[in-house]
Amino acid sequence: MSPPRALLQASGLVWRSGERTILGPLDLEVIPGECLAVVGPNGAGKTTLLRCLTGLLRPTRGEIAFAGRSLAGLSRREIARRIAYVPQIRPDHVPLAVEQIVLLGRYPHLSPLQIAPRAQDFAAVEEALRVVGIEDLRGRPVDELSGGERQAVYIAAALAQEAELLVLDEPTLHLDARHQHDLATLLRRLTASQDHTVVLATHDLNLASLLGDRLLALSRGRELATGTPAEILRPEVLERLFRARFEIVRSGERPVTVLDLGA
Amino acid sequence: MSRPRLALLLLLGLWLGTLIGAPLVGSQPISIASVLHGEPTASSIFWQIRLPRILLSLLGGAALAVSGVGFQTLFRNPLAEPYTLGVSSGAALGAVLALRFEGGQLLGLPLVGLASFAGALGVTALIVGLSLRRQGIETPALLLAGVAVSLSCSAIILFLQYLADSTQTFRMVRWMMGGLSVVGYREVLWLAPWVLGGSAALFALRWELNLLLTGEEMAASRGVDLARLRRRVLLATSLMIGALVAVAGPIGFVGLIVPHILRRAVGHDHLLLVPACVLGGGAFLTLCDAGRRTLLSPAELPVGILTALLGGPFFLWLLVLRKRD
Repeated sequence: MSPPRALLQASGLVWRSGERTILGPLDLEVIPGECLAVVGPNGAGKTTLLRCLTGLLRPTRGEIAFAGRSLAGLSRREIARRIAYVPQIRPDHVPLAVEQIVLLGRYPHLSPLQIAPRAQDFAAVEEALRVVGIEDLRGRPVDELSGGERQAVYIAAALAQEAELLVLDEPTLHLDARHQHDLATLLRRLTASQDHTVVLATHDLNLASLLGDRLLALSRGRELATGTPAEILRPEVLERLFRARFEIVRSGERPVTVLDLGA
Repeated sequence: MSRPRLALLLLLGLWLGTLIGAPLVGSQPISIASVLHGEPTASSIFWQIRLPRILLSLLGGAALAVSGVGFQTLFRNPLAEPYTLGVSSGAALGAVLALRFEGGQLLGLPLVGLASFAGALGVTALIVGLSLRRQGIETPALLLAGVAVSLSCSAIILFLQYLADSTQTFRMVRWMMGGLSVVGYREVLWLAPWVLGGSAALFALRWELNLLLTGEEMAASRGVDLARLRRRVLLATSLMIGALVAVAGPIGFVGLIVPHILRRAVGHDHLLLVPACVLGGGAFLTLCDAGRRTLLSPAELPVGILTALLGGPFFLWLLVLRKRD
């Protein structure tokens, strides 16, 4: 069987800030329909990697290709029609309603001379609101929502973008247990359906285990290991990755990690 | 009808009301009936003296308010307006230089006006140049460059005033107060294309500006070319402000006051906010102008002084509101 063609492929990827190498050299492939979870400690270069993969940062060296086409040769709009990104850092105050924010996800599909969104744009917005389950919130100012609901709104906006690849940076950061659960359930639904190809960065190993088909362990900008959750979530790998000791328990098929604080 | 759309409709009513009503008030009140019946004195005051001035203030207020919205969204800073960025200071420096060296006319246009137009554009180019980085223009650098250039322009203006004789100094000070005093249709025809074009350009960028409200990284990931957007907003606003300052001098705070009030009425969506600023900014400046013509009649207070007098307390009111939130 020939290997499946990669949707996104990075080769020899390096990103430097001044003299300091933040990322790479790194090779990476994202297969259509899979969920690749990038795990690693703070400062490992996860966000930098995602920003390179979404074309927001231009790599110092190396090449990134989406479905065989170089990212450097695509305009921002052309990239946005293919890759939807939900960044981690957002302004505290966004003075728009839920529906407006989700509709803004349609921007890359609008022609510059278009006066108003078309029926298909509104249909995509409806579909995204429905999939994420936030139809009831549509008229609410996003500033009034909880952190988890807000994250769901931005994921809906990314879905309305109808891109082939969804890239999420720390989707459950700063959420309490219930909101983490709700969001993880939503993401699991998205990743399990095979309609979506997802790359997500997280330092929550259990979220990575729950959602990821493959895990990429990133340490100081380089690949430490890649494999299935069972292959990566092992005490010896995690100890090298985080310099901390872990105990692994099993929940069904998926390994669950617990910090081992010693006796 | 939704509340924002209703507010926009009311603004249109207010705009039309000031267009027709404002030329009737002043040191000599006239009635609409006498104008419609073609009474010579009333008609001449209405059509020849007051209407061009009202049209100029409607256009000028629109330029100031729309530029204010453009800058505030671009810099994600509620206090940004043409004055914060030094665009007006550049224009003032140009005008003061022309006054110092007794500028006459060039190609039939007053040199003072041309020099201030050039000053506005020159300062914009300078601050963009100063804030250019490898990854494009950086917003914090742009804001800092604007403040620094603005302060330098003010210092050079003071220096030029010190060197000038008393007549020149008086003219400079009077010019910097901003006013719509000697105005005919020529100024209106000069200003209209810049303001209408600039406002249309910002309206056309409403999707990009809305996306900026969700953050620069989000906007870029949705397909907005941030560097190009910044260039376009800066170009549109500096052309509008330069053209206005050339005929009316610097008029402060309108770009700050009007967008803040209008956001409360129509919300932050630029689809409604930009048209609201065209209407509301114009009506606001026209009402200020009508106010200053009647308040101290027959002495005429420059409108720039009145807007500045309103601007200070408004700033404080904003601060108090924020504190309470």
